[in-house]
Amino acid sequence: MGKLIAIIKREYLERVRTKWFVIATLLGPVLFLALTVLPALFASRTRASATSGNITIIDATGAGLGARVVLALGDTSTLKPTLQVVQPGAVAAAEEGAASDVIGKKREGYLVLDSATLRGAKALYAGRNTTTVPDMNRLGRAIDKAVLAARLEGAGLDPLRIDSLTQVDVKLEKTQLTESGREKSGAGSTILGLAVAFLLYMVLVLYGQTVLRSVIEEKTSRVAEVVISSVRPEILLAGKIIGIGGVAVTQLFVWIASSLWIGAQVVPALLKNRVPSGAAAGAAGAAQSVDLLSMIPTFSIGLVVALILYFVLGFVFYSSLYAAVGSTVNSESEAQQAATPVVMLLILSAAVIQPVALAPQSTLSVVMSMLPFSAPMMMPMRMSLVSVPFWQIAVSLLGMLVTCAAAIWFSARIYRVGLLMYGKRPSFRELLKWLRYS
Amino acid sequence: MSDLAIDIRGITKRYAAHIAVSDLSLQVPRGAVYGLLGPNGAGKTSTIRMILDIIAPDSGTITLFGKKHTDAGVLDRVGYLPEERGLYKKMKVREVLKFLAELKGIPGAEADKRIGTWLERMSLVTAEKNWGDSKVDELSRGMQQKVQFIGTLLHDPELVILDEPFSGLDPINAQALKDTVVELKARGRTVIFSTHIMENAEKLCDSVCIIAHGKKVLDGAVSDVKAANAGHTVAVAFDGAPSPAVEAVLRDRALIASMDDQNRFLEIELAPGANSGELLQRLITAGASLQRFERVQPSLHAIFLEKVGATGVEAGMSGHG
Repeated sequence: MGKLIAIIKREYLERVRTKWFVIATLLGPVLFLALTVLPALFASRTRASATSGNITIIDATGAGLGARVVLALGDTSTLKPTLQVVQPGAVAAAEEGAASDVIGKKREGYLVLDSATLRGAKALYAGRNTTTVPDMNRLGRAIDKAVLAARLEGAGLDPLRIDSLTQVDVKLEKTQLTESGREKSGAGSTILGLAVAFLLYMVLVLYGQTVLRSVIEEKTSRVAEVVISSVRPEILLAGKIIGIGGVAVTQLFVWIASSLWIGAQVVPALLKNRVPSGAAAGAAGAAQSVDLLSMIPTFSIGLVVALILYFVLGFVFYSSLYAAVGSTVNSESEAQQAATPVVMLLILSAAVIQPVALAPQSTLSVVMSMLPFSAPMMMPMRMSLVSVPFWQIAVSLLGMLVTCAAAIWFSARIYRVGLLMYGKRPSFRELLKWLRYS
Repeated sequence: MSDLAIDIRGITKRYAAHIAVSDLSLQVPRGAVYGLLGPNGAGKTSTIRMILDIIAPDSGTITLFGKKHTDAGVLDRVGYLPEERGLYKKMKVREVLKFLAELKGIPGAEADKRIGTWLERMSLVTAEKNWGDSKVDELSRGMQQKVQFIGTLLHDPELVILDEPFSGLDPINAQALKDTVVELKARGRTVIFSTHIMENAEKLCDSVCIIAHGKKVLDGAVSDVKAANAGHTVAVAFDGAPSPAVEAVLRDRALIASMDDQNRFLEIELAPGANSGELLQRLITAGASLQRFERVQPSLHAIFLEKVGATGVEAGMSGHG
């Protein structure tokens, strides 16, 4: 036991002390901050494009539709319309003028309303902000509303009543319904799921490779023989996996804890300072900042536990395979080739991250989250997206436990023989023979 | 308490293509310096690895200090220097040594104390430079070998096993190694080392075991081995080049089993049944001008060549040692 601890201690301390580890561990939260806050900031910038949201509305309907659109856009809108009423024949000239304004950056864009708009067929918008989804949605709704109002007036409705009748803004509140009941909608949950899966994938690859390199280092430097003259190779292997796994868990823990803190403390503070600076102040500003906060992923404790548990099992599985590979080769360049089967399993898992994230309840997703080699990435991701039935979690955990036991048995045997074999890399047939050595 | 440090009974180790060690038995008394001799590929390293439980024998038993070698704590009393030496290159010297000591069950604080003493003794810590805080790969090859040697002895083992300890050592380190072996013996420790350089074994060992093709050829105290093989070896030197008649005598297989040209003299191994008087008479009859004719105790090297022969050296180059 004391020897196992000595090995774990060496593997752990030698890595935690390196500059690389410190930098990577500190950089993680910074990256997380960038990934979560930047999109939110960009979004808030887009919404707060009030100062630059000047657009020209060219009204060639002759029915005052432009004025209705201006009214429908309202004064809390980030789009600042300037109305230009023209005769139907003068549309081309007005368009030309508006276009040169846009090119000259005096305006963001221009909207052309004509008889076709009045019929409900089409309106034309040209500008630099056509890709800004919120602005375009708002403009589209305003036009719909204006056309509706114009038609109602044409049907003989009282103009005063039209205004009050068309002033509709239903807020769609989203609640996710699952087997376990209602859950608060996380707008960022898909992002969270992807983040969880990629984080696990990255850490598994990174630290699996670390185990591989560590085995190769001990083998090529020939220090392995000294060590296994004092401890059994199985103990060395176990100590190595636990020690390096400890480094990985430390890093994951720091990353998650600091990200939680950043999510709870830093991000709201950062975003609060940004939003009210826009034209929309007061109540509107507060509403907007709340809206932004809901885009930031939230971790539940259960998810963190699952994340660590699945990571540990996945790490034991992949790192023991990597260790077996490392013991059969003589150099790192040879290892790249020899590790291909292990890498294929990881890549196969990574390849389905996106399909699973988009359809977490599909058959593919359910199967991949239960297959032992992909479960460590897929199951935590699904758990962060939807409520996964208990039996699926049980099956995946059980499968992984069995697979881990098999991987450890297989690797320990290969490792024990391989560690002292130099020269030609063994063929698959020879590897099978190694398994039978006592 | 057994008075044998090592008691090996009939161990065999088979690999797919060949037999590395075949029904080998040997006993090493406590406090002895014991040489395991044999050509490359004879099974020396396989034997040593089985003693250390690095590989398991297919059959046979290994007992250390009267206990099964796999019993808990038994191997902690053994120090091992493998033929292929190596340390963690990126670790500091002190940390590597502390790790190696902890693997043998020495607590950290005690290990630190011993490391300090050893580093000074091996002049790795001097007034000018403290190599203990340097990384291993900053050390020269000779210094790394010293560190490795400290690692072997740090836990004050009762049995020290050195696999080809002299390979790659410069004369100064080789001398230091010899001194250490002698000192270990003086302190009652048992030392077993393998070598294919007979001169080292002859100088240092109390007892030897010669193995070839994984089988024991002979073993016993060096003096006994030499006495048992005495009377068959003659050192002969001529004035000038030998005449054709003399050369004809030297080629007579009924008289001479083998001949080893030592430059200044010929070491002649007499054929079975032949004696030195007969050889002397034949040489004089052939008109040889003798400068030296002496019955000598055979060197271990000569015994080795006689017993193992050229075939033992060529075959069995398997790489399993």
